[in-house]
Amino acid sequence: MSDLVIHVVDLVREYQMGAERIQALRGVSLEIRRNEYVAIMGPSGSGKSTMMNVLGCLDTPTSGEYWLAGQEVSRLSDDALARIRNREIGFVFQTFNLLPRATALQNVELPLVYGGVGGRDRRDRARRALERVGLGNRMDHRPNELSGGQRQRVAIARALVNEPAILLADEPTGNLDSTTSADVMRVFDRLQTQGQTIVLVTHEAEIAAHADRVVTLRDGRIASDLRQDRTRAA
Amino acid sequence: MHYREAIRLALDSIRTAKLRSFFTVLGIVVSVAFLVAVVAIIQGMNAYVRVNLTEAMVGTNSFQIRWMPIEMAMLSDQDVVRMNKRPLVSLDDAAAVRAALPDAKAVALQTGWPTPAVEVAHAGRSMPNVITFGITPEYQVVYDYGFVAGDALADPDVRERRYLAVIGHEVATQLFDDPARAVGKTIHVARLPVRVKGVIAPKGKTLGQSLDTFVLLPMTVFETLFGRRLTTTVSVKMHTAAEVPAAMARAEEAMRRAHQLRPREENDFAVDKADALIAFWTSLTGVLFAVVPAVVAIGILVGGIVIMNIMLMAVQERTREIGIRKSLGARRRDIRRQFLVESVALATLGGLLGVAFGAGFAQLIAVATPLPAKVTAWSVAVSLLLGAGTGIGFGVYPATRAARLDPITAMRAE
Ligand SMILES: Nc1ncnc2c1ncn2[C@@H]1O[C@H](COP(=O)(O)OP(=O)(O)OP(=O)(O)O)[C@@H](O)[C@H]1O
Ligand SMILES: [Mg+2]
Repeated sequence: MSDLVIHVVDLVREYQMGAERIQALRGVSLEIRRNEYVAIMGPSGSGKSTMMNVLGCLDTPTSGEYWLAGQEVSRLSDDALARIRNREIGFVFQTFNLLPRATALQNVELPLVYGGVGGRDRRDRARRALERVGLGNRMDHRPNELSGGQRQRVAIARALVNEPAILLADEPTGNLDSTTSADVMRVFDRLQTQGQTIVLVTHEAEIAAHADRVVTLRDGRIASDLRQDRTRAA
Repeated sequence: MHYREAIRLALDSIRTAKLRSFFTVLGIVVSVAFLVAVVAIIQGMNAYVRVNLTEAMVGTNSFQIRWMPIEMAMLSDQDVVRMNKRPLVSLDDAAAVRAALPDAKAVALQTGWPTPAVEVAHAGRSMPNVITFGITPEYQVVYDYGFVAGDALADPDVRERRYLAVIGHEVATQLFDDPARAVGKTIHVARLPVRVKGVIAPKGKTLGQSLDTFVLLPMTVFETLFGRRLTTTVSVKMHTAAEVPAAMARAEEAMRRAHQLRPREENDFAVDKADALIAFWTSLTGVLFAVVPAVVAIGILVGGIVIMNIMLMAVQERTREIGIRKSLGARRRDIRRQFLVESVALATLGGLLGVAFGAGFAQLIAVATPLPAKVTAWSVAVSLLLGAGTGIGFGVYPATRAARLDPITAMRAE
């Protein structure tokens, strides 16, 4: 098996809106290798989120192929996709999507709960994931007792805890101010150095500058796909 | 997700909304409490009727020849008016029955309703409301009385109208402290002086009332004092229960001959055994047992619909949570299990609460009234199964809806 983590071929995603048919993705082909750090950019409505949802197995394409870590996943059943999401994918959302009543630790434990990891092992792994994002001292806080940046780091810890093949982030700094954005980006940068494959969507050039490859979407198609020398915050 | 996890989640969400949870299951609580309490009371009454009332009223292996049947309360007014014309049961009837049943262990005559409740006094001490019967001696055999002091009444006591009495254990202790001291003393029964001949061994209590607060007088003495009763009764005791049905038939024949009834004429007396009382009681509780399930079923149905609604609301409120869980790898069955376990936990807690309330109510009845209400294991088991079953039955639909939610749409929900 090659080090290809993601391989999509001619991906199409259409939405039916009453009589109208909207093509959010109009044939996207893309390869992402292990440990790549990819930023996806593009104007609003260009299909970035649609693409991320398909890559994250939250959604299935209308047509096209999607190979994730060597497995074709575009035609799998609901439950099979849930399994893939649990094992292979870590997803970070713009709005954090933490469970408000659960503590940071319990939030991070969730993927392990559904992965069938129990007891002490589960707690230890969740704790380690929180330590990796610098929140070892906030485990028992609930989301409303954490700052936005801290919440997003909890979400990242949760995405990491199952050691996914790919970490996907859709505008992870979209709800954060510039200082906390920098904190969060430092976490992504460090993870990438440690070997994590990362794809993130952003509107901001500053954020995209952290990646070593920038894919630009326009009208559901890839307009450009460029490698760059990344700039890293100290 | 393991069941343990699902149960923890369910209890968490029930705990965070205690009041709402309580009102959600109120229907089940009330239905189950009703079921447990009513069954407890009926069972308690059953036990009481079977063990105490029948034996106390009729005696074992016994039957009675009465002016009116035992289940008089069930008769229509016309029947009662018609039966009022019947001749009274007499000493001659008792003699006729005795002649027809030489194998009987005892054939006795006793006075019945209205039973006088009178004051009994001795040397400054007294006891009010002591029920008083007039009897022939074999009555003491029919009821298996044993004597702790003195002797039973005998035939000459009746024939020669001797002013003697046999008294219950509690009367003896009340007036004399030691029952042995009572024998030979003169007591006043409704101001009539009579000498105590014997004290009967204690029979205990039922319905919170002592069975040992009575005075037995020779039939002849009783009638001098109180006049003839309407409901004088012949009691027959056989040696074994198996002999009873045939003996009843022979007694009926003897009575018809004594009353000179023609073949087509109906009996102007009643031949009853304890079974009649039990049958009467069983038919009464049978009605109750038919009504209780219907009431409980309606309660459970309403309770179940409430649970279903609340669970649908919970799914609605937690759409986002469901989306998040699915995005992290929860399969349909995980989500379904989470909500199903929650509705089952809710309904089962409701069932438990209902059992507690019902048992408490039964206990209250047992303490506050003479009825020995007793919670039965099967009604508790049925209640809990009913609770859990309701949770499953009415939880499936909301849980299935939750499980089918699409993660992206669900996460976008407010
Ligand atoms: N559930 C949906 N139903 C119908 N159309 C949709 C749906 N989701 C997305 N679209 C349409 O698909 C197109 C791409 O949407 P998408 O959310 O992928 O854009 P985006 O690049 O993420 O935009 P933004 O930068 O604003 O987040 C848009 O025209 C949008 O209206
Ligand atoms: Mg978007």
